[in-house]
Amino acid sequence: MLDRTPPGPLTPPYGWEEGLRFEIYQNLIHGDRWRQIASAIIPTLQVTFAGLAIGLALGLILALMRVSKFWFLRWISITYITIIRGIPLMLQLMIWTFVILVNPEIPRLVVGFIAFGINSSAYVAEIFRGGILSVDKGQTEAGRSLGLTAPKNMALVVMPQAFKNSLPALVSEFIMLFKETSLLGVIAVVDITRSVDIIRSRTFSPFVPLFAAALIYLTVVTIATWLLGLLERRLRKSDTR
Amino acid sequence: MIHVRGLHKSFGDNVVLEGITETIKEGERVVVIGPSGGGKSTFLRCLNLLEVPTAGEVWVDGEEITARSTNINAVRRKMGMVFQHFNLFPHKTALQNLMLAPVHNKMMSKEEARSLSISLLEMVGLKDKIDHYPSQLSGGQKQRVAIARSLAMRPKIMLFDEPTSALDPEMVGEVLDVMRKLANDGMTMVVVTHEMQFAKDVGDRVLFMCGGNVVEQGHPSQIFTNPQNERTKKFLNSVL
Repeated sequence: MLDRTPPGPLTPPYGWEEGLRFEIYQNLIHGDRWRQIASAIIPTLQVTFAGLAIGLALGLILALMRVSKFWFLRWISITYITIIRGIPLMLQLMIWTFVILVNPEIPRLVVGFIAFGINSSAYVAEIFRGGILSVDKGQTEAGRSLGLTAPKNMALVVMPQAFKNSLPALVSEFIMLFKETSLLGVIAVVDITRSVDIIRSRTFSPFVPLFAAALIYLTVVTIATWLLGLLERRLRKSDTR
Repeated sequence: MIHVRGLHKSFGDNVVLEGITETIKEGERVVVIGPSGGGKSTFLRCLNLLEVPTAGEVWVDGEEITARSTNINAVRRKMGMVFQHFNLFPHKTALQNLMLAPVHNKMMSKEEARSLSISLLEMVGLKDKIDHYPSQLSGGQKQRVAIARSLAMRPKIMLFDEPTSALDPEMVGEVLDVMRKLANDGMTMVVVTHEMQFAKDVGDRVLFMCGGNVVEQGHPSQIFTNPQNERTKKFLNSVL
């Protein structure tokens, strides 16, 4: 475990090891500051997973609308995607918070869910659309020639293949979403980035808190990439040649 | 069984079918031959409305399938189609490929579909491959699964769109054998093919299509030995 004894005052000349040890103590251990970072992981993950869930559900609907034969549905989907992808996420976050969902009863965390979910859905929609288009036309012809209705053909034949083709891009989207939650500080949600920034502003030493946060993001991304890689390999089982 | 009246099809300015009128009787084996670009595949695909005709009528089993009120899905369940590129569902095993449509179209129970599918895979000689994914099968095996998949709907008509054109030569025979078996069982078949021997052996009637029309037709013995039309002669000379 960490050495919790406070180091003596730094008296020059001192080596970098001594300096680092002092900074770690000051930024992470003193006053149990590491707990502030630890508890900031929770809202970060909450927004990531809520955003992902909303993004996947809404993105699927938007993608299906985007490839629909009804021009009106296509038009709605295209307009939505254009608007969402055309405005910076930080600005969207501020618009949701300060213009649309201004009611103080609504927790900022929930505003975060909505803003990130809606933003992600536009990207997920395009990912799914690409996945759907990547499925050979012959698959639909085969499904329809067997008397499957268009919706059943989509659900049973096209989407399972489209989803599999979309997975690598979805993993990227998930990673982007996770890292972009660092914008949550803008609407006063204390996420990982905001928590270390608070510490930095108290201790006036940026190195340890910022790199601590970087390490946390990097670790989560690495683990998640590995887990999703396992899932992808399982889904590719039928492709063995 | 199938009546086609004044069937026209064009893709933009490109006229592919120039008004075909044809009747295919129950139990008849019709083989469609002709140069590529002659409209053979388009004709076949119009029969189950994978291509929507520009004009004309198609009647299947007493129903006008080109009418707006027709439930095309119900009609398609009566006619199987086999494609040049097999189009098996890659995310499903051979058995699941067969069972998918009958079960989800609510035509049979799962158990019924399973036992029918297993017996069909046995019929095409692939009983030992039921749990294999398409990627684990050879071309000939894939095509035999595809034929069995169409048969799992218990269709009255089978349409074949160049079923052996994408196969390695040594795999053509096994697929044609399955088709011969079907023909012997009295299935109504419309086959677009370049396999002239198969056309001679199995066909009750050969349609020679060229430039969007049926230029000549007749019994294979007549078409292959004594063609009347110049274009038929030229075509047969080049392929035989």
